[in-house]
Amino acid sequence: MITLAHYLILSGILFAIGLAGVLIRKNIIVVFMCLEMMLSAANVALVAFSRAQGTHGLPVYDGQVMALFVVGIAAAEVAIGLALIVCMFRARRTVESTALNTMKD
Amino acid sequence: MTETILFYVFAVLAVIFAIGVVAFRNPVTSAMNMALCFAATAGILFGLGAQFLGIVQIIVYAGAILVLFLFVVMMLDLKNEETPNFIANLCGVVVAAIFAAMVTSVAIHLPGACTCCEGDQPALAAQDDTPVLGGALPELKPEAAAQVMQHVTGQEQPAMNSIPDTKLLGIALFSKYSIAFTILSFGLLAGAVGAVALSRKLRKD
Repeated sequence: MITLAHYLILSGILFAIGLAGVLIRKNIIVVFMCLEMMLSAANVALVAFSRAQGTHGLPVYDGQVMALFVVGIAAAEVAIGLALIVCMFRARRTVESTALNTMKD
Repeated sequence: MTETILFYVFAVLAVIFAIGVVAFRNPVTSAMNMALCFAATAGILFGLGAQFLGIVQIIVYAGAILVLFLFVVMMLDLKNEETPNFIANLCGVVVAAIFAAMVTSVAIHLPGACTCCEGDQPALAAQDDTPVLGGALPELKPEAAAQVMQHVTGQEQPAMNSIPDTKLLGIALFSKYSIAFTILSFGLLAGAVGAVALSRKLRKD
């Protein structure tokens, strides 16, 4: 039997893997992919709650609408973020996050 | 029973491919793993009865976003990154493991879910407004969906044998959340304009 807890734990594990990727990886493009994975993990939790809180045999659609908004925001964020990465590559000829140390040197 | 097996299959696949995104050194391999991870996540959403969101997950994440990533990866001349130091890796893994443990402990102790700590149950039963989130997910009833549709459209609905997920989501999206939806579309427009403005070449004059 699959309960809400199963879905929440899966969502938490996916989010944690994304978090580990954001912390570990140096390549900003891969860091960005991990951010997208974290957003989609949050979607799983939202949809699971929308199903579990359902009354009268229907899910609560507020959660699914919010998940849809998350997808829309993620699409806009990717467009802006990748444009920023292209700008950074033009300026520095690299996408390593360790190269962003102008204020330190 | 089938749902249980499918949940575990898709959950394991999603976790494996997510680890693949972090572990592989080549960004193109990471992007392909990300697409498969999103496809497995879409399978999980189908299992929850959110067919429309599952399709959106495949189209937007595994389709549009992945193609954007691949374009940028192939447009830029990338070298495989060198292996980062062990201490930094360990810190990242420890922080992520702490987070996963926190979420797991919250999920296990959801109200009504706990069968291991019987002492808490009377206190919960006293408060009637506490939602019970444990146990099996509530059944979906197509009759209830037919009633909602009849209320909205004012017409007699034919008998359904499954929930019309997309129609109900659309009713919620374009009635209760219509203003938020409009603001979101402005956000997408701003994103598109911003991406063009950021990535064009600046002229000197």
